[in-house]
Amino acid sequence: MTTTNTTTQLALAGDLLTRLRETTTEPRPDEQLEALTLAVAADLPVLLWGEPGIGKTAALTQLATSLGLPLTTVIASVHEPSDFSGLPIVGDDPAVQGVPMAPPQWAVDLVRAGKGLLFLDELSTATPAVQAALLRVVLERKVGALQLPPGVRIVAAANPRASAADGWELSPPLANRFVHLYWVHDRDVVVRGLGGVWPRAELPRLAPDRLPEAVAYARRAVCGFLEARPTLIHRLPSTETRRGGAWPSPRSWEAALTLLAFGTAASVSRDVLALLVRGAVGDGPGLELLAHLDRMELPDPEALLADPPSAELPERGDLRQAALEAVIAAVGARPERERWEAGWAVLVRALETGAPDLLVAPATTLAALRRDDWEVPAAMDRLAAVVGLARRADRSLARATAEGTPR
Amino acid sequence: MEKLMAARLHAAKARPYLADALFALHVVEDRSVPTMAVDAHWRCYVSPAYVARMPVEELAGVWVHEVSHLLRDHHGRGERYAREHEAYGPFERLRRNIAADFEINDDIYGDGLPRPTGAVLPSLLRLPTGLLMEEYLRTASMSGLSPDLAWLDCGGGADGQGRPWELGADGARGLTRQQRDAVRFRVAEGIRGRPGEAPEGWRRWADEAFHPPQPWRRLLGAAVRSAAGAPGVGEDHTYRRPSRRAATLPGVVLPSLRRKPPRVCVVIDTSGSVSDAELGGALLEVAAISRAVGGRRDLVSVVSCDAAARVAVPLCRAESMALIGGGGTDLRSGFTRALRSRPRPDVIVALTDGQTPWPSAQPPCRTVVGLFPRPAGPVDEDDPDYRPEGPPPWARVVTIG
Repeated sequence: MTTTNTTTQLALAGDLLTRLRETTTEPRPDEQLEALTLAVAADLPVLLWGEPGIGKTAALTQLATSLGLPLTTVIASVHEPSDFSGLPIVGDDPAVQGVPMAPPQWAVDLVRAGKGLLFLDELSTATPAVQAALLRVVLERKVGALQLPPGVRIVAAANPRASAADGWELSPPLANRFVHLYWVHDRDVVVRGLGGVWPRAELPRLAPDRLPEAVAYARRAVCGFLEARPTLIHRLPSTETRRGGAWPSPRSWEAALTLLAFGTAASVSRDVLALLVRGAVGDGPGLELLAHLDRMELPDPEALLADPPSAELPERGDLRQAALEAVIAAVGARPERERWEAGWAVLVRALETGAPDLLVAPATTLAALRRDDWEVPAAMDRLAAVVGLARRADRSLARATAEGTPR
Repeated sequence: MEKLMAARLHAAKARPYLADALFALHVVEDRSVPTMAVDAHWRCYVSPAYVARMPVEELAGVWVHEVSHLLRDHHGRGERYAREHEAYGPFERLRRNIAADFEINDDIYGDGLPRPTGAVLPSLLRLPTGLLMEEYLRTASMSGLSPDLAWLDCGGGADGQGRPWELGADGARGLTRQQRDAVRFRVAEGIRGRPGEAPEGWRRWADEAFHPPQPWRRLLGAAVRSAAGAPGVGEDHTYRRPSRRAATLPGVVLPSLRRKPPRVCVVIDTSGSVSDAELGGALLEVAAISRAVGGRRDLVSVVSCDAAARVAVPLCRAESMALIGGGGTDLRSGFTRALRSRPRPDVIVALTDGQTPWPSAQPPCRTVVGLFPRPAGPVDEDDPDYRPEGPPPWARVVTIG
């Protein structure tokens, strides 16, 4: 009687658990998941930083399911260096056959499957010796004598220094091999997920006709940027606060280039791209590269001068001013009367479509470019309001300066 | 509108390093806004009546004030503060707004930018200037301020809570998080590039905007841990004990991984320029950390050092040891003394204010320097160009305090 009762109860408990585990997924815009998926598709090792229990493992399980890859979890901190560099197996005659370094079972399984998602958990609590052994796994994809097939993707997870009470920090060489993503929980995702619906990761859709353009764009962006800022090519983390994170080196710039090309081909948003680029080369260099992309996208000054009435200027004030200054600089580089007048026409166009105070600096510079025999174009009259605005600001500044100390 | 634009020009001319941020703001005219307010997406809401009654030069001050809220990420920080302290509600919102205003107003005005009427200053509550928003929130109740202060709604950009007039994340012409970061980064780089132009408060902001200072305890802990745990120090392969895997491989002798607890030697700069309180705190911290790495108390020793080094004593005695010293420092003798002790330490932690000569060669063990920051300035009156040399590149440096 009692035995049957227990069995029924256990079976019921099993039913309840099954029901609880029945969850579905929905497509949902999620920047960090999109960034993770894109980096995994680009075959770059990703390192997720996040507090314990934040759902890094759950996100990876979802990712593996939706990509159709078997998930292999290896907790780095409970392994010994030889688990990653191979265990020596002694044969009958070591002098003749040599001693092979045998790979562990999970590596053999991965090779047999030909594809999979290798998840190295608890990376920051692995001892330095294990971290050194992992360098080869992450970069060369070799475990002992075994080469992992190209279908295998590598993702690692670590707890930030603040919460890893007894953790080591990541050595700069290992940190440089990863794209670092900071995993934070989104309240809505958690609530919706506990309700049974998790967001679904989808492989980025690469547009086949955009591939050549994407490669050209990424190369132009990164090379153009590094030509202007050669000191950023290689910079070891120097201060304590930046240790263990992403830092710029030729290796990580190559990763950034790959990510830019993938992001362009998949038309992901600039926000996702920013997460990835900053995760590859670090915050400072990443932000500077993004600013460089902004500048690359400014309209071509010559195109604006060629057809001022239909000129499309950026909406954002600071970018609009940069675009106008580029136009004036182009006029100044080859000062001809037609170009000078076209410059005024561009300014008029800008006045019609946006805030007038942005025009003061470009208009002053353009006026100074005038040659004596050039007549004042009719367009300049329309900018009279701008001149008035500038005078007003100057008067106000003069008053404020004359007053001296603030009231 | 024209007046508002003239004021923005004035602000950009008076504070050229903020021009990018000022021009990146998108202006929205709205009669329901009390004065002038910003939202987290870098839109600036303006009441036409408010603009009409303010002089241009004061409006310029308001522009800089509002853009400062956004540059200093007051909405993000305010939200974090509210979450951490579960401080919600209209009164808490007002408090956050006031604290944020205090942080801004004490150093942005003057020098061509008059303070607008109604701007609140920390001196209203007899608080010191130069603190951060969070510090004002922690220390002051703000209840002394009269609720009818005219100029106290700077919008969701100042405290992280939405307002009825705001267009929200999906509205037109807002900046995304990455675009906001990009503008903030450009402004910070501009200030760092030409530090002479910006006042102290802005320079500090520019230094910390993208690398917020971390608590020194955590950094010191990480530095000592990684010094004590680096290969060849606390941990190595040994053949003295068989590997736990030896049973599976008969005939092969595998080394086992053994930890030997690291010996940590703390060299303390007891010259007159370092206060006892600073030293006491840092010393206790090092002791706690080395215990956490597996060191026993008797493995941590202390050398107190001014111009000459004194005997190394184990920590169990150092806790009651009076740190004697004063006058000048020469840390070199401290390093020599630490290295001469037997057995030799694996890690040397030097606690100092850095105004000392350093050993010319790298000592044969890991070195962590806990540096008490001292204001930069001429140290030697006879030779104003003299600067004490910084810690050597082979040491890991953590700034304490």
